[in-house]
Amino acid sequence: MTATAIQTPSGTHASAMDRARALGRLKFSDSGFRLMTMASALIVLILLLGVAIALFFGAWPAFHEFGINFFFSDAWSPPKEQFGAATAIYGTLVTSLIAMLIAVPVGLGIAVFLTELCWLPLRRPIGIAIELLAGIPSIIYGIWGVYYFRPVMQSYIQPFLINTLGNLPGIGFLFAGPPFGYGVLTAGLVLALMILPFITAVSRDVFDTVPTVLKEAAYGVGATTFEVVGNIVIPYTRVGVIGGVMLALGRALGETMAVTFVIGNATKIQTSILAQGTTISAMIANQFADADPGLFTSSLLALGFILFVITFLVLAVARWMLSRLELKA
Amino acid sequence: MSNEVNAPRPAKPPSANKDKVIVRGLNFYYGENHALKEVTLSLFEGQVTAFIGPSGCGKSTLLRVLNRMYDLYPGQRAEGEVLLDGENILSKGLDLNLLRSRVGMVFQKPTPFPMTIYDNIAFGVRLYEKLPKSEMDGRVESSLKRTALWNEVKDKLNASGLSLSGGQQQRLCIARTVAISPEVILFDEPTSALDPISTAKIEELLDELSGEYTIAIVTHNMQQAARVSHYTAFMYLGEMVEFNETNTVFTSPRDKRTQDYVTGRFG
Amino acid sequence: MAGLYSGRKRRNIVWTGLAYAATVLGLTMLMIILATLIWNGFGGLSLDVFTKNTAPPGVVGGLLNSIVGSIITTVIGLAIGAPLGILAGTYLAEYGRNTRLAVVVRFINDILLSAPSIVIGLFIYELLVVPVGHFSALAGGVALAVLGAPIMVRTTEDMLNLVPNTLREAASALGMPRSLVIRHVAYRAVRSGIITGVLLAIARMTGETAPLIFTALGNSLFSLDPRGPMSSLPLIIYEFARSPYAEQQKLAWTGALILTFAVLALSISARALSASSKQS
Repeated sequence: MTATAIQTPSGTHASAMDRARALGRLKFSDSGFRLMTMASALIVLILLLGVAIALFFGAWPAFHEFGINFFFSDAWSPPKEQFGAATAIYGTLVTSLIAMLIAVPVGLGIAVFLTELCWLPLRRPIGIAIELLAGIPSIIYGIWGVYYFRPVMQSYIQPFLINTLGNLPGIGFLFAGPPFGYGVLTAGLVLALMILPFITAVSRDVFDTVPTVLKEAAYGVGATTFEVVGNIVIPYTRVGVIGGVMLALGRALGETMAVTFVIGNATKIQTSILAQGTTISAMIANQFADADPGLFTSSLLALGFILFVITFLVLAVARWMLSRLELKA
Repeated sequence: MSNEVNAPRPAKPPSANKDKVIVRGLNFYYGENHALKEVTLSLFEGQVTAFIGPSGCGKSTLLRVLNRMYDLYPGQRAEGEVLLDGENILSKGLDLNLLRSRVGMVFQKPTPFPMTIYDNIAFGVRLYEKLPKSEMDGRVESSLKRTALWNEVKDKLNASGLSLSGGQQQRLCIARTVAISPEVILFDEPTSALDPISTAKIEELLDELSGEYTIAIVTHNMQQAARVSHYTAFMYLGEMVEFNETNTVFTSPRDKRTQDYVTGRFG
Repeated sequence: MAGLYSGRKRRNIVWTGLAYAATVLGLTMLMIILATLIWNGFGGLSLDVFTKNTAPPGVVGGLLNSIVGSIITTVIGLAIGAPLGILAGTYLAEYGRNTRLAVVVRFINDILLSAPSIVIGLFIYELLVVPVGHFSALAGGVALAVLGAPIMVRTTEDMLNLVPNTLREAASALGMPRSLVIRHVAYRAVRSGIITGVLLAIARMTGETAPLIFTALGNSLFSLDPRGPMSSLPLIIYEFARSPYAEQQKLAWTGALILTFAVLALSISARALSASSKQS
């Protein structure tokens, strides 16, 4: 029996020879498509390597000139061609720390509210609103910070902190100095607001991975909401929550626009968190356009390289932890 | 449907049968797992052969060797000989797409493509033939008539294939396969997801398609095997236990295990 | 027993109270930001904003060149990033799966997804600005592509993983070559999901400022030439928000409002699209 045996109104069907020929024509485009997808995947890989290599080469003159001291020196003097990364690294770490200290508990609180306490018909709308807020460009937070939040900081919050915590022995030095409005604390708080929707959205997703039966079983034996969250939800999702928090930390460390408006851009380390400072990204954003080629530019690229390495490590750990949660789910 | 349970139609005498597919000493592995062991059988031209056996016996695996569907997945391999018109389809350089155009397959769950009813059929045809619009229309119509679907869908050929009922979707999938006129059609439990009425329609269709196509069908349902097939292969734990005319397998099986299975003592 | 129970109850009230407080605090702050944005942004909204270019202080100006510039740089980013992202995502889901290359690329892509955008800007500066000798919208578009592509890689892969294997088998069973199975069957089955990813990527690219500072640079004149510097909304907001002139500050707010609306519109349509595709 051959393929031509079926009688159709339209005549006979293709013979095996014709088919082979038709398929042969497709071979080229078939392997072509496969190669294109593979090349695209390789480009993604090369991009990251490219970032690392390009920044490292750009940074090399600075690393070569200042050596290990570059990391520990707080000098930043373009006229004297003396550069060090300490101020920027310090500012980056402190602003991110402040942001995390505030945004993590509040974000987790909102996530608990959304998964356990909120009236059911409102859960989805509020959840969606939070996710939408997470996508708002960070420059919006920056412009709000400089026009609205900074005056509030200057007139109310900073004087209040100086008069209360500033007088305490031991930690008073953190809250010393005149209230400028601009400063490390202001930047940290704006940063906290910026990453808050993100932390909330991620931890809500993570909390949602807890099987309903587990929670119902606990409620069934009379556990309170607090006990269910503390004994079931958090232990079950610990790895995922930490992963989500690290992801948020990665964002906070690298954020430019929410910070650069309000941090004051002073290139000197000061112990008070009310004082002005800078971060790696703010420093690059502010100075790169005006930097002379040579050591100045190279030092800024070196800052970029350091930021890249720090965020890479944080994000890698975050992804590793989140992937462990996925294995469990 | 004229067939009654336990009264399969008499098969043609074996002497009139020409081998379409010959399986010889076939072994199949899922990684380390030895799923088919030295399987040997023939599919006769224009006849329906049913593969039966308890779950996990390898009947679906055997079916998926016949169009090398297993090649989509890494770690699965077949050894031995499977001859289609004398050509070994397990050989390395074989054009898999050409093989699959000759050996069609219909799946357990209906799998209409996410496109119109018309395109579901025309899409496969376009792979191999450049037909003018009028001829393509004719091909679509004849395929749908062949599967008794034409009257139900002729007014909505531009509706999505997904808008049809389960039984209609399955007949659309058969029409799609018939449209590129394969020589062999493999059915992998084609009615297990369908209601009894749709099942009856598909079984009728199988009856009509036999003679023109060489058909292999995997089924969990022994009555179905008895109703639709000329030959039956009983498999157990990856081995071909018994292969014979359907009548013989169901009425006077040679092997004790076959007897136990067809009389419903296990499986 | 009663004492134990009342203690548990008290603790519960305190902690759930804190969760409520966190929600009220967080949502209030975020609402305040949106409210001030709308208040200040609407105040400056006028026809001039859309018909006039940015102007020096004292002259009535608008944001025309910035809006057009934003669209052009985003389109460049999309033209480069979308094919790259969709094809790479296709590789991960269809060809690579669990090969070593796929595992590494998946990990790297997840990192790129949240990499600091200013670092990407520096990279493109080194790659496309330094060798050419001047800033360009093209470089800005490439920087945006690097930021947008990972989003599309991720969503394309996730979406293609939702395509049932039986559908792929059914298409292969007709003798369809793999690439046709992917392009005509798999893509079609999850088309709206892939488009959702593209919209989210556009939203991200539209709102980015940092990578444009040393690539597209900004331009106070109207320009359609991708080989030269070009203005864009985030850049002009960045510049005018630090300006001492009230009218420029006002335009910064208006620009911020337009930008936020654009981004929100994109993410809401992405969300609506994925919701409607899940129902069908």
